[in-house]
Amino acid sequence: MDIVVCMKQIPNPDLQFQISADGKDIKREGLTWKTNSTDEFALEEAVRLKEKHKGKVTAITVGPPRTTQMLREAMAKGADEAVRIAYDEPAAVDPMQVGAMLAAAIAKIPHDLVLTGVQSDDYLYSETGGWIAAKLGHPIASVAMKLEVQGREAKVWRELEGGITEVCTVPLPAVVTVQYGMNTPRYAPLPAIMRAAKAPIKELQAKDLGAAGWNDFVTGHSIKVRDMSPPKAKGRAQMITGKTEEVAKAMARLLREKGFYRGG
Amino acid sequence: MFTAAEAVTRGRELAATLGGRCVVAVMGHGVEAHAQSLSALGVHVLQVESPHLQEFTPDGYAMAVKSLLPAVDPRVVLVGQTASGIDLAPRLAAELGGPAVGGCSDLEIEGDLLVLTRRILNDKVETRLELRTDKPAVITFRPGSWKPAGPAPGGSVQRVDAAIDAARLRRKFIAFEAPQVQDIDIAQADIIVSAGRGIQKKENLRLVEEFAKMLGGVVGASRPLTDSDWLPKTRQVGQSGKTVRPKLYIACGISGAMQHVAGMKDAAFIVAINTDQTAPIFEVAHVGVIGDVLQVLPAVMKELKGG
Repeated sequence: MDIVVCMKQIPNPDLQFQISADGKDIKREGLTWKTNSTDEFALEEAVRLKEKHKGKVTAITVGPPRTTQMLREAMAKGADEAVRIAYDEPAAVDPMQVGAMLAAAIAKIPHDLVLTGVQSDDYLYSETGGWIAAKLGHPIASVAMKLEVQGREAKVWRELEGGITEVCTVPLPAVVTVQYGMNTPRYAPLPAIMRAAKAPIKELQAKDLGAAGWNDFVTGHSIKVRDMSPPKAKGRAQMITGKTEEVAKAMARLLREKGFYRGG
Repeated sequence: MFTAAEAVTRGRELAATLGGRCVVAVMGHGVEAHAQSLSALGVHVLQVESPHLQEFTPDGYAMAVKSLLPAVDPRVVLVGQTASGIDLAPRLAAELGGPAVGGCSDLEIEGDLLVLTRRILNDKVETRLELRTDKPAVITFRPGSWKPAGPAPGGSVQRVDAAIDAARLRRKFIAFEAPQVQDIDIAQADIIVSAGRGIQKKENLRLVEEFAKMLGGVVGASRPLTDSDWLPKTRQVGQSGKTVRPKLYIACGISGAMQHVAGMKDAAFIVAINTDQTAPIFEVAHVGVIGDVLQVLPAVMKELKGG
């Protein structure tokens, strides 16, 4: 049971973001980085499957050298190998291109299952997993909350809207995208962190993926950023600001006036 | 159904600017009633039928849409950003030989360009992308992006029997499962006080519970809290949880990710408490309170008790 887990390092989404001078990207100085949350769940699920069925887990990413830190963490948490596709473009806004790169690299790694997060919290396309599946010719099941492997088949519990779950099966090899809360990711033990700090990370260039350059992974379309801006608010709340006592008074008055508080 | 009605609104506008038409494809087995109800929006509906389309699968739906070509030759295929839409979009795009772009909140057509509006980075940044392609573009849009189309005359239904190659259907549907939990149904409540990550610790839930009790309401939550098992899944408000329309909704320390907003934006009166004045929750709230919920709530309760 060999599993590839696709992971992404993203700017911490709790930050405030400024727009760069050319208006086409966020300012990237001073950003802090974290592993995309659903990819953490995907890694944990992969390691649990490996512990149950034996085999190997490979963590893979597309991104600049800073992403090696994320890959080392993944190894400390149970990935056996790590691969960085060295496409160093900081913005990388084309999910189809990134999906094609990942698929080209994964095609060379023996695998039964590809796991990744259902979305990256930076760009929110929710389509990288789908493109990997399409390019590899694998079936997909997305938004998984539970996953069992039985023989050459994966049984997937997919989270639909309104709390409904769809249970389905896909033959292996398959791609499964993982939803928030699928499991509880583990912490890495210290000896594993020490080991992972020295572990090799395989680096792949375009030519290693059989391409002359990264643009070879773009086919039949072009996609570029026209502009970025703070969101144009569709509506705007009437704001209450001030010291805690003042806003509390105002809010209490409002709740009384609207008839939402009828007590004492 | 709801996302389809939204897509009809925008699809019709775009078709008008292109001099084309907006066509709705309903896939399934025995879905005449569904096709009829959509045609009541005043659009032409293709009722795409096959026993192999009984339940949704990415392979089945992708083949079904492909089978409509070339009689239908779309520039844009709109798909709702739902659990199944996410499943389908890249698979469909691959079948049609074109691109897919997910998570859009609007699109415009400028000559041979598609201009896609998207919210990124926790909805704190809006971006427009220029997509150029000569193939059909599969665009998934967030539910709630446009006003759902209402009833209009002029609709029609055309039945199409799709030839689906069953050998190419790899995914098998097994069953739907509904949550079986004994809990109150928050969708029935008039007042909901919801907690988000801003409450910081599970122990602080008691503040929210106390406040909800004072108002005669119930406690709801954003996804991170139910994922962490601070509250049962039945309390989750949002796209993957409950959709609620109470008389009063108080969002305590909830930033307002699309996932959450989709489930509460239609509440009659929304108050949001958050430290971050750029939080997207203030776009749907009627009243916004800037402050730390852990300080504001005790102070409000003190005011209410004292007054």
